[in-house]
Amino acid sequence: MIDVRHVTKRFGIGAPAVTALGDVSLVIPEGSFFTLLGPSGCGKTTLLRLIAGFELPSEGEIALDGDPIGHLAPHERPVNTVFQNYALFPHMSVARNIGFGLEMLKRPKSEISTTIEEMLDLVQLGAFASRRVDQLSGGQQQRVALARALAPRPKVLLLDEPLSALDLKLRKGMQSELKRLQHETGITFVFVTHDQGEALAMSDQIAVMSAGAVRQVGTPEQIYTKPQSRFVADFIGDTNIVKADLLGYEGDRALIHFGEGETLAVHAASLSLQPGPVHVAMRPETISILDEGAETALLRGSVIDSTYFGAGSQMRLRLDDGTEVIAQVEHPRAPGSRVGLRCDSAMLHVLED
Amino acid sequence: MTDPVGKKPGLFKRVTGSRELRRQPLFTGISWLVLLFLYAPVAVLIVFSFNDNRSVVRWTEFSLRWYTAALDNGDIRRSALISLEVALTATVFATVIATMAALATARGGAFRGRSAAIALINQPLMIPEIVTAIATLSFFSILRQLTGVTGLGWLILAHTVFCIPFAYMPIRARLSDMPATFEEAAADLYAAPWQVFRHVTLPLLMPGVMAGAMLAFVVSLDDVIITLLVAGPGETTLPIYILGQIRRGVTPEVNAVSTILIAVTVAMVALTFLLQRKRK
Ligand SMILES: Nc1ncnc2c1ncn2[C@@H]1O[C@H](COP(=O)(O)OP(=O)(O)OP(=O)(O)O)[C@@H](O)[C@H]1O
Ligand SMILES: [Mg+2]
Repeated sequence: MIDVRHVTKRFGIGAPAVTALGDVSLVIPEGSFFTLLGPSGCGKTTLLRLIAGFELPSEGEIALDGDPIGHLAPHERPVNTVFQNYALFPHMSVARNIGFGLEMLKRPKSEISTTIEEMLDLVQLGAFASRRVDQLSGGQQQRVALARALAPRPKVLLLDEPLSALDLKLRKGMQSELKRLQHETGITFVFVTHDQGEALAMSDQIAVMSAGAVRQVGTPEQIYTKPQSRFVADFIGDTNIVKADLLGYEGDRALIHFGEGETLAVHAASLSLQPGPVHVAMRPETISILDEGAETALLRGSVIDSTYFGAGSQMRLRLDDGTEVIAQVEHPRAPGSRVGLRCDSAMLHVLED
Repeated sequence: MTDPVGKKPGLFKRVTGSRELRRQPLFTGISWLVLLFLYAPVAVLIVFSFNDNRSVVRWTEFSLRWYTAALDNGDIRRSALISLEVALTATVFATVIATMAALATARGGAFRGRSAAIALINQPLMIPEIVTAIATLSFFSILRQLTGVTGLGWLILAHTVFCIPFAYMPIRARLSDMPATFEEAAADLYAAPWQVFRHVTLPLLMPGVMAGAMLAFVVSLDDVIITLLVAGPGETTLPIYILGQIRRGVTPEVNAVSTILIAVTVAMVALTFLLQRKRK
């Protein structure tokens, strides 16, 4: 288990210092596939480098299984990294690259060579042991980098956008291979990506970051269906964000009201929001389209256009308050026509901001 | 989506600057003249070192007699040995120091006065050699007197100092081109700092180190001005010996020695280029 406690990281000294991470706290459970997800520049790499030991925290502490490691040098931490550009040693063979960690740990020769064999099998590169690393394809180098980082059996494996240099097809293959490796080894994987699809597909847990802060931690399902803030809802995908009025609470449900129709009791990210205008996440597949005059309509608007995509159509609509929303429907309406909208209230979710 | 610009390179033919330059009148002629005046003297020197005659202007017949004579000449052998001793020792010291300086300035992180340090290391390249020579002469005279120490060490010390910037440049260039992630990866895989250096930094830096060492060796081997002023009695290096000989006129023997010197230098420079190209 990695425990990141109130970690702040500033680069540079004095007035122009950049705060890459501001008071980040995070618990990464042992043996999980944990993903750091966020837009470029939000501090993902910085957090990874702090765990690896390439940077030291300006404030705060990092603990591994309860022991503080925040100020140890990289070679003193049982943590290995798969670098984005692989960083395989060009002057060593594939086998020597994989054995390097164990060699530095002064393990017996026999143990090193058996581990190298095991690792080559694990990443299915058995025939490549004596190759030079610059004679490998990108995907093969990727797998050597993985084997090299796994060979010393670290407690934690850090992966900084390891798939971003691969083409789409190879990437899909490596995604399932990574899942398999994590499952087979039981090692905690901390995986960095800015691709939300990749994060949702691979992770046990996701931490969504923005501007040097962790905005939400949860399972892919929690992040997808119950985003806490507008930022997370926006970043994770095609969720609509619609304005509503918060009237109060009833138990653990928030009572909200759109422009028309009945009052709804829905999930809320927080039960301490002040009554008044709030934002609500509304997934496109939960919206149903009604005639304009329908009494059960919660919102009204007009159709902008629609796109057919096989399983149905995606319709763009403009609500009467100007908000643009997307709805997934079987039978799209003609552009320009006026419609009413309704939504399954169990799937609505009040956001924090 | 198609990209009409990218698909049809013919639409946007690139005008290359060098082509335009080569079309200028006289350009080719001047180039050839420069090459001629650079290399013709050397060619003449080499040709007449194989001449079976005392004259260095009139060709008679091919012969190796001047090479034999040069190798039989005790003064030449002695000065060649001193040259080698000075150049080899100075090269080793200068390369080690230059490597450490390059590591400190390219890998040591930002420290106060780093830019100043880089400028100071390279400054000797800018100072006229005669100034350095005179300064070294007077400074070493004081030190010699104070310490009472004499010997070849002073000459080696002087050579080491002026060789450092020559060794430093290729090493530092190689180090700046080398991403630090290799070293981070090694540290990540449990290599302590000195193991990182031994197993990763040094092997990857080696072409730069060899290039720096060879440059330093050639510069030391060729040096005249500083050596002339700093060398004590009995410390005549090969270039100084040749200089002394040609005061009495150019002999084919000197041509032979010079040819050997050229061969060594060219071999070194060629090797340097090969080493630098190998890992690119
Ligand atoms: N060595 C450094 N010196 C100064 N600023 C830095 C340094 N490293 C990172 N930063 C700054 O810290 C912030 C976070 O950078 P970081 O590399 O962690 O982002 P990231 O989330 O990994 O982005 P990306 O997805 O583009 O890789 C950025 O504003 C960056 O400019
Ligand atoms: Mg990054």
